[in-house]
Amino acid sequence: MLDRILTGRRLGELIDDLGQSRRIVGPVRRGEHFFYEKVRRASELDLGFNFCVYSPKAFLFPPTETLFRFHQASGAFETEPVYDQRPLALVGVHPCDLNAIRLLDHAFANRHRDEHYLTRRRKTLIVAVDCPRPCTEGVFCHDMKGNEAATGFDLMCYPLGRAEGNGDETFGVVFGTDAGRELALYTQAGRPPTVEDERSYERYSADKQAAFPRMIPFDVDSLPQLLDRSYDSLLWEATARRCYSCGSCNLSCPTCYCFNTYDEPTLRLRDGERRREWDGCQLRGFAEVAGGHNFRAKAASRLRHRIYRKGKWIKEREGIAGCVGCARCDRACTARINSVEIYNQLAEER
Amino acid sequence: MPVLESDAAAPLLSLYQPQLAEITLVRKLTAFENLFTLRLSSGRPLGHAPGQFVQVAVLGVGECPISICSSPTRPETFELCVRRVGEVTEHLHRLEEGAVIGIRGPLGHGFEVSELHGKDILIVAGGLGIAPVRSLIHYILDERERFGAFHLLYGARSPEELLFRDELPVWRDNPKVNFHVTVDRPDAQWRGRSGVVTTLFPQLPPLDAATTVVVIVGPPIMFKFVVLEVLSRGIPQKNVLCSLERRMKCGVGKCGHCQANNVYVCLEGPVFRYGQLKALREAIE
Repeated sequence: MLDRILTGRRLGELIDDLGQSRRIVGPVRRGEHFFYEKVRRASELDLGFNFCVYSPKAFLFPPTETLFRFHQASGAFETEPVYDQRPLALVGVHPCDLNAIRLLDHAFANRHRDEHYLTRRRKTLIVAVDCPRPCTEGVFCHDMKGNEAATGFDLMCYPLGRAEGNGDETFGVVFGTDAGRELALYTQAGRPPTVEDERSYERYSADKQAAFPRMIPFDVDSLPQLLDRSYDSLLWEATARRCYSCGSCNLSCPTCYCFNTYDEPTLRLRDGERRREWDGCQLRGFAEVAGGHNFRAKAASRLRHRIYRKGKWIKEREGIAGCVGCARCDRACTARINSVEIYNQLAEER
Repeated sequence: MPVLESDAAAPLLSLYQPQLAEITLVRKLTAFENLFTLRLSSGRPLGHAPGQFVQVAVLGVGECPISICSSPTRPETFELCVRRVGEVTEHLHRLEEGAVIGIRGPLGHGFEVSELHGKDILIVAGGLGIAPVRSLIHYILDERERFGAFHLLYGARSPEELLFRDELPVWRDNPKVNFHVTVDRPDAQWRGRSGVVTTLFPQLPPLDAATTVVVIVGPPIMFKFVVLEVLSRGIPQKNVLCSLERRMKCGVGKCGHCQANNVYVCLEGPVFRYGQLKALREAIE
């Protein structure tokens, strides 16, 4: 059921309204590729983008951020936590990345609440755009159930087709939260959906179902059991032989949230910051302790760890899939290691 | 999205902000290990369970996980045995009494002492592993009437690497502890036993499998051999406890470094039952 109909032009105006009170981040074309970037007005965005090279994760969980500042004085010191309270609107988020953000939300709130992430996330409004078809070759979002998102957005915009004449997109909009509802209704953007719009949305959904191929010959729900049988497979060693342990897969993954912490003193040395930065389980020193013992010294054990975490452990721990099938890891891999290939080979081991 | 909601009236609490603690005493234990006695600047006790750890911060340098080696039965201060092995510990060793450092914690899942009450206890410690179990040793000694027989086996590489050397004779002379110590590589002065820690097992009386809990802390290589010894004596796996070491940054199950397969050692551990670890292939590989 749709809640609202918006033309592309009206959606742009809505985004510009949002820009009065929030930073706007959305897909921007850079040469042949798209990136999530901060923009000043909606006209800089391209909501018809295929995919963004990186997910919008960096705007919720920045590559580096300050956790607290410290100041040393007369033997003792003071610390002051830092929270990013600036309101943000993430525009043009695809279902795969919505599902990834849902996992991040859960992971940072689970058991111990990480208010550095959660504060930024609470201040974020998400205007999602659905994918009518695979954004590029090699994605396996359909297999991972990552190409649909029923929650995790404030507004979801389904591109129902272009109007004859001016070619403006018609978006069927669903409200995900009260904030989304208020935004659309308060600004009186668009119009209520008609029966014809609902039919159009049904056709859209049916076409979408048919448009996404299956890349992996088993149901994702059986992936944990499949992995259970493959812990000692030679596939890990064989595949990892060509891994450079560069961490590009981690860097580009929308669900990777491991981090390192470090201190950055000022030149005065009496003040400074505790910061965190993204870390990656594929990097050689990730599990190494002081003294030199490395609990995952081999590339094969690191690769297996990543695939198990994405395919089994995160799902088991957090109840949310650890992989959304966006294939950014596969596109980023400097050694052409391919997760679809790995999953297919695992299936053959059955 | 309910997970995002928080109590608007409550101040935001950072998981990563340390509290202050003053170093009240520094004792040199070996060429590489110092024992730091600390008191929280808040005046409150640390409130830990034996086997838990803290994140120790030297501001401007960084943070590292250190297990607490004192018992909560002596709450005025707490003690950390720190090996000089990395950047943070290198700086810690330069600090003197009166210096203030950052502490986060207590963190992790330690020994559930209430479950140990009434049990016979066998502790097997190797190398630096004596530090985390010392919190339990002191707890047992302070609450001795709550426990049955108490056996303590400790192995170090060489006599000069033995930790808590002033306490070893006290434990040996204490009639309520069955204490044995060995070194792998004795020197000319060493009059005690030599060999790895498992060579001490013949010194033990027959263990009552129904009432004995075994605690094993040491380098990864030690676990397998000690677990074999205790299982061969009929101790059920659920009564074998191990404490693991891992790289840890956040200490609260977020940063990912300490994972052993699907388990966050900083959350579910560092103390585990052997039955749990058996399923974790990376735990004692």
